[in-house]
Amino acid sequence: MALIIPAVFIAVFAFALFKRVKIYDEFSAGVGDAVKFTFSILPCLAAIFMMCELFEASGLSDWFTKLLSPAAAALGIPPELTKLILIKPFSGSGSLAYLTDIINGYGADSYIGRCACVCFGSSETVFYISAVYFAGLKNKKLAMPVILVLLSTLVTTVLACLLCRVI
Amino acid sequence: MNVIFTVIFLASLVVMAFVAPSELLSSLLGGAERSAKTALTLFCIYAVWMGISRVAETSGLSKKAAKALAPLSKKLFRTDEPAAVENLAMNLSCNLLGIGGAATPYAVKAIGELEKTGNDFAQKLLFVINATSIQIIPSTVIALRAGAGSANPADIFLPSLICTALSTLLAAGLFIAFESFKGKKRRKLWR
Repeated sequence: MALIIPAVFIAVFAFALFKRVKIYDEFSAGVGDAVKFTFSILPCLAAIFMMCELFEASGLSDWFTKLLSPAAAALGIPPELTKLILIKPFSGSGSLAYLTDIINGYGADSYIGRCACVCFGSSETVFYISAVYFAGLKNKKLAMPVILVLLSTLVTTVLACLLCRVI
Repeated sequence: MNVIFTVIFLASLVVMAFVAPSELLSSLLGGAERSAKTALTLFCIYAVWMGISRVAETSGLSKKAAKALAPLSKKLFRTDEPAAVENLAMNLSCNLLGIGGAATPYAVKAIGELEKTGNDFAQKLLFVINATSIQIIPSTVIALRAGAGSANPADIFLPSLICTALSTLLAAGLFIAFESFKGKKRRKLWR
């Protein structure tokens, strides 16, 4: 499994060499795109992190989590993950903030930490994606696809919490 | 997102004003500081993957990948427009490598191309696939775990793969079933 990443890199570089691509120039240009991209998300990231910090510090998040934990517990989802799962469909950076908190708070190798990683890694920012993808188009009926996606995400979240106990 | 942001921010502000007014500013600054640190972590991840994907793009490797995927996309997305297929292929490969951020621009382009031919089905299917996440290598999560001192950062690989595959199959399956059911019903009505 550890060989996948080296294999991808070697294959891409070998092919580029074969095609006489200026690898250094192109790679740096790609990194340049990464700079632009990082700066483009930084404003949202900063705003959401501030919101999360306040939500946390005010004690509202604990209250909210307590409110929803029984429902989550009934599905086998640990209460520590409720917030992460709730914010994920709306915001990648917000859920990333909670994921970082969970990893640092409970440890990367704890059950909670691993479970959070799997839930984070196997779900997406549904509402964000629907907004960005279809921003230029009007009259798209997206309710049905969105509901299907949310439903499958819930199913896999429950599965993730089960799997992390075993694997 | 605007509504959620305002509601949570405002509610927290009001509670903070009663509970701990002196900690308000330090929380905000702390949040901003964490955002800068996270942005740096993210930049490192994007730098690596966007660098390599740019090399793949200019060398023509991604075009080749698109060609290889064309028969599949014809069946799955019901389209064989070259421009749409190349963007679809790039979107899917970025997703598989776990760089969802880099995948977004390709998806937007693909949806634009599909709009030209009025392929509503492919647009929605692409959304469903993207919105359920299809990464093989969860690189962001692995990088975060490595940063936090995990003994084996990649050991969430298997459960992640199972979950992400299942969620996509489930949602895409339901969607295709729903669409073809709708199609059948419509054909019956016409008869």
